[in-house]
Amino acid sequence: MLGLTLKSLLARKWRSAMTALAVVFGIALVAGTYVLTDTTNQAFDEIFVKSNEKIDVTITGRERVDQPDGSVPAFPERYLGEVRAVDGVSDAAGSVFTPGSILNDKGKSTGAPFAPQFISSVLPVRLEALDYVEGRPPRKPNEAALDEAAAERGGLRVGDTIRLVGTGAARPYRLVGLTRLGSASFGGSSISQVILPVAQRITGKRGEFDQISVAGRDSISPEELKRRIAAVLPESLLVETGTENAERQASDVRDGLSFLTIALFAFGAISLFVGSFVIFNVFSITVAQRTREFGMLRTLGASRRQILRNVLVEGLVIGLVASVFGVLVGIGLAEGLSALLSGFGIDLPGNSLVVVPRTVIVSFLIGVGVTLVSSMIPAVRATRVPPIAALSEDVLQAGSTRLWIRGLVSFVLGVAGVALIAWVLVGNIEGGAGAARIGAGAVCLVVSIAIFSPRLIQPLVRVIGWPIARFGGLTGKLARENSLRTPARTAVTSAALMIGIALVAFVTIFASGLNSSVTDVIAQNVRGQIILQGPGGFVEIPPEAVRDAETVQGVEAASGVRYTQARVPRAGGTAVASVDPRSVDRVLEIDLVEGTQADLRALAPGRAVIGQKLADEARLGLGDRFRPLTKTGRRPELEVTAIMASGNLDFLGEVVVSETQMDRDFGVKADFFGFVRVKPGQDVEKVKDRISRTLDRPYPTVEVLNQDELEQRQREQINAILALIYVLLALAVVVSLVGIVVTLILSIYERTRELGMLRAVGMSRRQVKRMIRFEAVITAVLGASAGLVLGIVFAFLMGIPLEGEGFVLSYPIPTLVAILVLSALAGVLASVYPARKAARLDVLEAISYE
Amino acid sequence: MESALPSTESSDPSGSPVVSARGLERIYGEGEASVRALDGVDVDFDHGLFTSIMGPSGSGKSTLMHILAGLDRPTAGTVQIDGVEITDLDDADLTQLRRDKLGFVFQFFNLLPVLTAEENVVLPLTIARRKPDQEWVDQLMETVGLADRKTHRPAELSGGQQQRVAIARALVTRPSVLFADEPTGNLDSESSHQVLQLLRSAVDEFGQTVIMVTHEPDAAAHGDRLIALRDGRLVHDAPPVSADAVIELLKTLG
Ligand SMILES: Nc1ncnc2c1ncn2[C@@H]1O[C@H](COP(=O)(O)OP(=O)(O)OP(=O)(O)O)[C@@H](O)[C@H]1O
Ligand SMILES: [Mg+2]
Repeated sequence: MLGLTLKSLLARKWRSAMTALAVVFGIALVAGTYVLTDTTNQAFDEIFVKSNEKIDVTITGRERVDQPDGSVPAFPERYLGEVRAVDGVSDAAGSVFTPGSILNDKGKSTGAPFAPQFISSVLPVRLEALDYVEGRPPRKPNEAALDEAAAERGGLRVGDTIRLVGTGAARPYRLVGLTRLGSASFGGSSISQVILPVAQRITGKRGEFDQISVAGRDSISPEELKRRIAAVLPESLLVETGTENAERQASDVRDGLSFLTIALFAFGAISLFVGSFVIFNVFSITVAQRTREFGMLRTLGASRRQILRNVLVEGLVIGLVASVFGVLVGIGLAEGLSALLSGFGIDLPGNSLVVVPRTVIVSFLIGVGVTLVSSMIPAVRATRVPPIAALSEDVLQAGSTRLWIRGLVSFVLGVAGVALIAWVLVGNIEGGAGAARIGAGAVCLVVSIAIFSPRLIQPLVRVIGWPIARFGGLTGKLARENSLRTPARTAVTSAALMIGIALVAFVTIFASGLNSSVTDVIAQNVRGQIILQGPGGFVEIPPEAVRDAETVQGVEAASGVRYTQARVPRAGGTAVASVDPRSVDRVLEIDLVEGTQADLRALAPGRAVIGQKLADEARLGLGDRFRPLTKTGRRPELEVTAIMASGNLDFLGEVVVSETQMDRDFGVKADFFGFVRVKPGQDVEKVKDRISRTLDRPYPTVEVLNQDELEQRQREQINAILALIYVLLALAVVVSLVGIVVTLILSIYERTRELGMLRAVGMSRRQVKRMIRFEAVITAVLGASAGLVLGIVFAFLMGIPLEGEGFVLSYPIPTLVAILVLSALAGVLASVYPARKAARLDVLEAISYE
Repeated sequence: MESALPSTESSDPSGSPVVSARGLERIYGEGEASVRALDGVDVDFDHGLFTSIMGPSGSGKSTLMHILAGLDRPTAGTVQIDGVEITDLDDADLTQLRRDKLGFVFQFFNLLPVLTAEENVVLPLTIARRKPDQEWVDQLMETVGLADRKTHRPAELSGGQQQRVAIARALVTRPSVLFADEPTGNLDSESSHQVLQLLRSAVDEFGQTVIMVTHEPDAAAHGDRLIALRDGRLVHDAPPVSADAVIELLKTLG
């Protein structure tokens, strides 16, 4: 029987290959994600292990409050003396390692826009991890070194001048050495080294270290040394062995990347889910078409189990073949994904691709599992074919499940789906757990719809097919009737497309909502016509730049805004912003619920304006005092002097303090935005040009934008992410198109005799093609419209809880219509091959076909 | 496999009938719309005989054969094959029965297009995981006149050749009884003749028991016995005479 199964698979090569293709994409995405993250993680492991190779113990600031950028506070230099005095320490040195910008002499960045760049201090040779491949370490204040890869990217050589920017103006340095960290790759990021005092000055950390690195005497173990050092240092410092430190950093990176991993896996799962619909359909149709064959096998003595096995083995083989290709494509895809991500500015490090057994095993389990599960119901149906089916003259539809069972299953799944989603929305479940539940809920809902939809197909196809039947002549009418012949088939085929389109519609609506919300927030809150921001709006800018901008002719006021996270009692992690009280009311429009603009101007250390949401949550009113825990471990006492409206996408966080307090207690020394108000009567563009010219030389990284440009930038970022999601969703849509192709091919095969008859009575090849094309369009438009409706409903539901955050949904009607039209065109595309196949049928052969 | 290869020798040539039906009734549907397809049929089929079943369309021929072969259950009555009551067997036992004792030939040739002629012939053995007796298979291919077409696929064979492959397939397990439902219904007269000749020689040479439903008087003339049905009742049971006599008989049945 196994031989028979394989033979019949081979005889239907083309169909089997298409079926396999339905899951190849999903498996490839899973395998590719594994390969990509393994490669990246291995690269980071190597970086951290190599960095700490010569170091026995590290001392760093302890993280008090989670910061979005993962930064930890620097600490005073004086602890170095205490560390050196510990018995067993042979060498100890402090260092600085801080994000900054590395530019060439012309002020152009040497890296990709979002690639992190670091400024660090040189360590004594005994502790230094970087090898010098050319030149030597910097020794004088005007010297710097750069990693080899960055130098290559920027076309820089020893002797050239580079410029470094931290929290102050850019300064030139002579490139005296090129470095490398063993064989490790940094991806798109780069490191420039300068001598310690320079590094401290550039990064605004005078008298501070980010880390103390310690080498111990040979006689003492790192653990023992760590214990002794920890004993003399305060709680605020984290003492680790070099190995622990490397492991922690590696696992932090892993956590940081896990968002990306989960997102990629999610797209793999979507693609597999769609693929499972296709497989289910192909197997259902095949089983129906082979009814007589199964009946005959039964009369020859085949048992039910043998029939079941026959179908499942086909599933198994297809799953295996799909897995083999999935893994191979996935490995290729890892390169592609990496290129795709770097196209969007995410440059991950990595040398050669890492393929571990787990990647292959999991891919195979998924590939075979999905195929087997999807073919299970058709296989069970095949076993219900009675032997007598062998004798019947027409092909029986293999017993389909009873209506009330369908109704019940569909209903239960639908309720479960809604309940899961409602649970997340009502229960406010955040993060991965919430996303997983929403996903499970969506799966339940979609399956529920797919199970029940054969009932809905009749009226829907009548409506969607109306114009085609009305204006498409006989072929149009036939096409519509053909789509109605096997409602279950049409339903599953279009449901596969529905999933992809629903997600496309959902993210499109969401992104459009985000775009208009951002625009609204900027328009409502920013009075300054000119905005200063760091590269891509991801990096801070030197406060001096804002101060310099204020001196430009035609400027009325310039004011910086800084951000951080602090922990507020009874409310937890809270976004905190700072403003400059002198000019805040001129550059920002803050909507106060209680208190007056005068309170804003009177903002000083010890005072805070808080958001309505925080006021409710932490039960704070005017005049109340609270003590937030800052990232530097301080707890400044703040008195609430005004309350502002919440829901501005956290543009000003939930706590606003004065710049002085931000600097002193919250440890944030650089601005994120600078807002500039132009004097009345002045031409904004002219003033903007003057600011650009003034800032260009000292602060080359600062972007000077007007409001439109800022909105444009924000939109570009959202759209870049949207484009990335579209690319990944395209895989799912392609899979569902494959589904349309296979289903058409199968139904043409089934209707060979009928098509022959139509040709015999005079239907032309072109008419046959047209009929098939119309069928595809009906299926595609059916799936797309259902998807659009579903996507809109989902977006609407998801938007409800976000309303409080200042998120407003907007429906991009033209885009949604475009999606519908594109789907119809995709249907036409999917029908090309089947239509040609149908048109090519030999009339004589078709009618004598048995 | 606990049961030995069933061979025609193993069943008793003289004693009890191979297939024995008593009081068969089959009613389709319920109430007003119900159809009484079989209405009290008692019939025995002896070993090594070629029986034709005839009757007007709708008289219940197919229904009778389906019930005799365990493909359908009677509303009332019993069927025994080789002395075993089959009307209350479950699916697994029926499957075993088909493997051991029954062979089928259909009007539509029902070959698997992906297998060669010889592979189609041994398919019942493959399904039952039995080793084919190569000598027997060769002999069968010889008998059906397709020794030189063993490796052809069904698509490369004529309708008559395909039907002969189907007969060889039905014989390969040496079943106690071979059922054929209008085996020549789809064939021209020349091919029909070959197929009937083949069934005849299976009876004569291998002692095969054959029960065949047919519409064609010529076909019935090849048999040892002719039974006729009308409105679900047995109305004629005698050795066949000439084809012309059969035509006369059919006329009286209407
Ligand atoms: N599945 C069924 N449901 C309802 N009635 C049926 C069914 N199968 C057969 N019948 C009816 O039972 C009667 C006997 O049918 P059967 O198929 O046995 O006739 P037949 O003698 O084989 O006819 P033919 O020579 O046309 O093949 C007919 O009246 C037929 O309409
Ligand atoms: Mg019949």
